[in-house]
Formats: sequence, structure tokens, C-alpha cells
Amino acid sequence: MPDAYLELRAVAMQYGSGAQAVAALQAIDLAIEEREFVTIVGPSGCGKSTLLYLVGGFLRPTAGTLGLRGRPITGPGPDRGIVFQRYSLFPWLTVRGNIGYGLDEKAVPRRERDRIVDEHVRLVHLEGFEERYPRELSGGMQQRVALAQTLACQPDILLMDEPFGALDAQTRRILQDEVRRIWQRDRRTVLFVTHDVEEAVALGTRIVVMSARPGRVKQIFTRGFDVAVGDEFEANPAFTDLKLRIWRSVKEEVDAVRA
Amino acid sequence: MPLLIRIAPVALVLAAWELVSRAALVNPHVFPPVSEIALRWVALFVDGRIYLPLWETVWRALAGFAVAVAIGVPLGLLMGRVRAAEWFFEPLFSFGFPLPKIALIPLYVHWFGLFSLSKVMLISTDCLFPMVLFTYHGARGLSPVYLWSAQSRGTGRVRMLWRVVLPLSAASIYDGIQVAIVVAVLVAVVSEMVSGSTGLGQLMIRSYRFGDVRTAFAALVTISLVGYALYSAVQWLRGRLLFWHTGDV
Amino acid sequence: MRLLPLFIIVAAWQAASSAGWLPKALLPSFWEVASALGALVSSGEIFRHTASSFARAGAGFAIAVIGGIALGIVMARVKAVQRAVEPVLLLIYPVPKPALIPLFMIWLGIGDVSKVTVIALACLLPVVVASFNGARSVDDVLLWSARARGTSEHRLLWRVVLPAALPQIAAGVRTAIAIAIIVLVSSEFISAETGLGYLIFSYGGVGADDAMLAVVIWLGALGYLLDRLYLAGLRRAMSWHAFAH
Repeated sequence: MPDAYLELRAVAMQYGSGAQAVAALQAIDLAIEEREFVTIVGPSGCGKSTLLYLVGGFLRPTAGTLGLRGRPITGPGPDRGIVFQRYSLFPWLTVRGNIGYGLDEKAVPRRERDRIVDEHVRLVHLEGFEERYPRELSGGMQQRVALAQTLACQPDILLMDEPFGALDAQTRRILQDEVRRIWQRDRRTVLFVTHDVEEAVALGTRIVVMSARPGRVKQIFTRGFDVAVGDEFEANPAFTDLKLRIWRSVKEEVDAVRA
Repeated sequence: MPLLIRIAPVALVLAAWELVSRAALVNPHVFPPVSEIALRWVALFVDGRIYLPLWETVWRALAGFAVAVAIGVPLGLLMGRVRAAEWFFEPLFSFGFPLPKIALIPLYVHWFGLFSLSKVMLISTDCLFPMVLFTYHGARGLSPVYLWSAQSRGTGRVRMLWRVVLPLSAASIYDGIQVAIVVAVLVAVVSEMVSGSTGLGQLMIRSYRFGDVRTAFAALVTISLVGYALYSAVQWLRGRLLFWHTGDV
Repeated sequence: MRLLPLFIIVAAWQAASSAGWLPKALLPSFWEVASALGALVSSGEIFRHTASSFARAGAGFAIAVIGGIALGIVMARVKAVQRAVEPVLLLIYPVPKPALIPLFMIWLGIGDVSKVTVIALACLLPVVVASFNGARSVDDVLLWSARARGTSEHRLLWRVVLPAALPQIAAGVRTAIAIAIIVLVSSEFISAETGLGYLIFSYGGVGADDAMLAVVIWLGALGYLLDRLYLAGLRRAMSWHAFAH
């Protein structure tokens, strides 16, 4: 059977060894197709960020294999772009400098680089802020820059680690719409980790629920309907229904830990 | 085992020095073998030649340091809490800071003579700056809560400095002390090197002048040990004196 | 204004001298010192000595800064280098560098080379320590982010670690400036033919206190200016960083 776009087979992650070993993930099997927007939810400590970092190549699994487009994942690289929750912009570079960072690494010629940077500045609606430094920007704007910085590298898959977790609710909503808009334009493959079930359903075409630690894939839901930009999805009964079902699934895991 | 790994590079450097010197790859009159320096160092203790200079350097450093603390801490506290004092003194210390006080050696010799007094005065002057500045910044940055609490329990202004501001600024003051003790040894040695009479610095310079390089190196080693010992003592004392400090003032 | 206390002191100084409270033998009047400074400036002599002093200090400083930053960063990222170098640095640390001046003069001659070498050695330590600490405390997120955008391990040092460590490095360099001046003056006291330290020492030796103090004040003013210029330059170059000064 041909590999999926992103293929995880029996991936496990353990910290420490011997008696003090902590299993973060156990036997994860996951297949993600191209152009999917997959969100991952689960209780705190279930290892969803760990999973993302494994796909990103920042960590090595203690067991199992990860493959992107048929090639094994061995380390970080621009084909797997990542957006962190915070503090990931280079404080000594302006907005333009940050967005163009990956292009500089690829030695893209100047004119082309500027064109791409301008395009991405427009893409995330930050016209007029090109020469600002990160410390002069709000949290929401910083995350826009981070997103633009990642997209400018044209990654095969976009990894997002609770990117809106540090923002207030309103900004979060606005940025969710931005992500949706951009995704609908590009149809890039996205793996999005969040603890917010509503966000997971609002953004993901498929929602993966992880169990409590040691994490494994508990359940995968498919969102059968579309959520358009600017939708009031709270008013959609199909949305609320799915959200409730997923929330129950997650809650089981949360309760299992507390018990 | 870890200790061995840590010492290894140093041991290697010393071993290389020994070999290079004995093989005369460098001029042994400039760099005598480590073993001969070590022997001379021991000899200085045995025949007693080192005790007087050692005592001179150490007591000058400590005396100057003590004067600087005695004047600097109250002054810094005053500056930190009394606006008039701050207004007057802060520019003096700010401007004076970048001036190498060592440049004042000839002036101090002129005023205080060639012997210990001029050196102690110079050491005090040099140590005064870090003491005042660290104390001042410590006293300035205090959370008002402690002060308000003391005020509402009837503490007068002067007692306030002594009973509240001083303990609260203790950590910052002690940072100043750690800087000052190093400065004290440094200035003691340099002033002895430049303006005669006695002390380890003078011993070292005189030895060079007479071509007795081994003694000069032994003096240098002693100087370094003195500096290290005093700093370590001050460091150790910090744990004893500031045991109550939580670190979030 | 902030300088007012200084003016008050100067005025008091002059008044005390003029009123005879301050004997000339003890301390020349402010006016005498100022005139001496004026004479030194107009004859150009002080510039000649300033140039040679600052050439020495500048060279030693530059060597220490470039070498120290490189060494500190490599030490922070390559454990083997840290293990090899750190104990040696700890050995040199307690030695008061001006005490090495006579040794270096015997070894390298009484000319500029020995002075530059001692200054470089003295300035090296604070720069290495600051660079080491700065490079060590770079946020992992920045490193991961850079790697995820295609930065190779080699380029990582230059493109991410160095800029991220810059605030701490800058503080170490500022300390190095002060140390350079101190060691410079010490070395010029001990043996020199030119330089501001030499001037101070020789004027003091012949009892020309007014000229001596003039040079001291000149030196102090230069030290102050250098520090201010450095901070101003820093603020501009690192406008991206939130400085609390």
C-alpha cells in the first residue's frame, strides 16, 4: 500500500530510561493525505506537541518511523514549516527580515526574495509594518509574522503548535479566519495542535483525539461539512453536535487522568 | 573522575610550560620551569621572606576596603532614599566611574607619602565607587510595600535606613562587596608596583629588576592566591550573612 | 541640570584656592589646572599622547573583543572546547592583569607590543564570559525555528546565536572598555615614553601638579565620553532590543 503524504508508523516517544522512563507517546499510527487540514486535540500532557515536534524533526522517536512524501524524517528542514506558540521571531530582524529569513538561507536572489516577502506581508495583512521589530508588535501581529515566515519557505506541510494559545479570544477568532482563508487559497497540508476543541472543529477537516499520557490516537473524527471564512459556526447545529461529541471524547481522557 | 577531567587542561598547560622551559624553547630567564617556581615559592615561606610583603598587601587591601564599605554603604543608602543626596552625589559617582582611579597615584603619593597611607587611601577611593553605586541601586529599587509597612509601625526616617532599607538592600550591597574586594587587591598590588616601599607588588617588581625571575613569579602566584582567597572568603560569607535572603526583593 | 553638582564642586574648589584655604602646594587651583590643560591642548601635545595611548588600548581591546566573542560562542556550543578552555581561563582569572605587565615587558620588550598584549589578555576574560553566557542562554525556540527554515548548523552560530547573544555580549564589552583604560594607564606608569599615563606619571614626578591634574581630568573626560558613545551606539545598533537603562 503506497505511503500517505505524511505517514507515522508505530511511533513511540519515551523520555529518560530505566525506572525513571516517562512514556510520552505510545504506538502512534497516523496517515495524513495531501491538502488535509488535520487538527489534534487531547488533554494536557497527552503528547500532542511532542508528536508535532517529532514530525518537525526536532525530536527523534524512540520507536517507529515517520515519513513525508515517502522519505523518512531525520531532522528539521524547510519542508516542514513550524509555527510556535510564542517567542519564535528573531528579535533583531524586522518584519521583512523575519519573513525573508528562510529565503536568505536558500540564497534566493534579491529581487525574487523581496517579491515573495511583499507577497506574504500582504497575505497576512501587515502592510505598513514591514520595518517594525517584533517587540513593537502585538501578540496577534507577531503570530501573523510567524505564519508568513513559515509560508514563505513553501513547506510541504505546515505544523502549528497551539499558535493562538497565548492570544485573547477575539484575536484568536480573527487569526483562525486568517488561517482558514490562507488555507483555502493554497490548500497546503496542515497539522494543527490545540487544546481548544472548538478551534479544532472550526479549522480541521479531520480531528484527531489523543488519549491521556502515554498518548495514542484514540479517535479520529471527520468533519463532514465546510466552515467558510466569517461563518457563524456556533449557529450551525452540525457544528455544535460534532463539537460536543469530540468534547466528550476528550473529557473521558481528562477524567481518566483525574480518577 | 570529573575533577580529573576539569584539571586536565590546566595540568597539560603546566606540563607543557615545564618542558618548553627546560628545553629552552623559550628563554628560561623569562619563563623559568614551573617546578623551580614552585620550589622558590615554598622557599619564600620557609625562609620567611614572604611574610612581611604578604601581610602588607593584605592589610592595605582590607583596610582600604573597610573604609570604602564604611563610607560607601551609608552614603549609598542616603542617596537611595533622600532625593537631595541623590541629586548631589549621583553625577559625581557617575562621572567619576570611568576615570581609572589608578591615574591618581602620583597625586596621592604627593598628598600621603610613599608608604602605606597613600595606598590605603587609593584603595578606599577605588572601592568606594562600586560600594556606593551598588548600594544606591539596591536602595533605590526597593518595593514600597516594606517601607510602607515599617512606616505604619512608626519607624522614623533615620531608623528606617538602618532597620529596613539596609537589610533589604543587602543582596545588592553584597554584590558591591564582591566587586570591591577584587578591586582592593588589584589596586593594592598596582600601587605597590608603581610607588615603592613594601608589599607583594613591590617584591615582584624588585625581583624582576634584580633578575630574580623565580621570586617574581612566586610573588605573582601569591598575589593571585590572595585575591582568590579573599574573594572566596567573601563569597562564602555571603551564604552565612544573607541566609534569610529569598531573592525576590 | 544634572551637571550642577559638579559645577558647585568646581566653584567650591576655586573659591577655596583663591581664599587661601587650599595651599597651592597641596592642590593647584581649578584655574591653574584649566590653564595647564589649555596649554597642552593648544600646543597639540596632549593629542599626540592621547593618540598613542588609544592606539595601544584600541588594539588590545579589538583583539580581545573579536577573539573573545568567537571563543565564548564556540565554548558555549561545543562542549569539548568548553572543557578544554574553561579551566585555563579560571586559572588566569585571579591573576590581576596589571601584575603581568613586568613579565610581558621582559618577554616582549618595553615597547607597545607588550602593552597591547596585556590589555588584550585583561579584556579577554569579561568578553569571553559574557559571550559564553549569552550564547548559552539562547532560547531553544529560536534555534528550532531557524533549523526549520533551513539553517545549517554552521550558519546557526552566525545567523542566530550571535545576534541573540548580543545584549549580553555588549555588556561584557562595556566592562572591557573600562578594563582597557585601567590596564593601559598602569602599563604606562610602569614604563613608557609616550601616552597619557606617561604624562601623568612624569608631571607628577617633577611636581607639575597642575599639568598632571589637567591630564587626569582629560583622561577622565575621555573615559566618560567613550562609555557614553558606546551606549549610544549600542542603543542605535540594537534598537530591536528593549533596553532598560
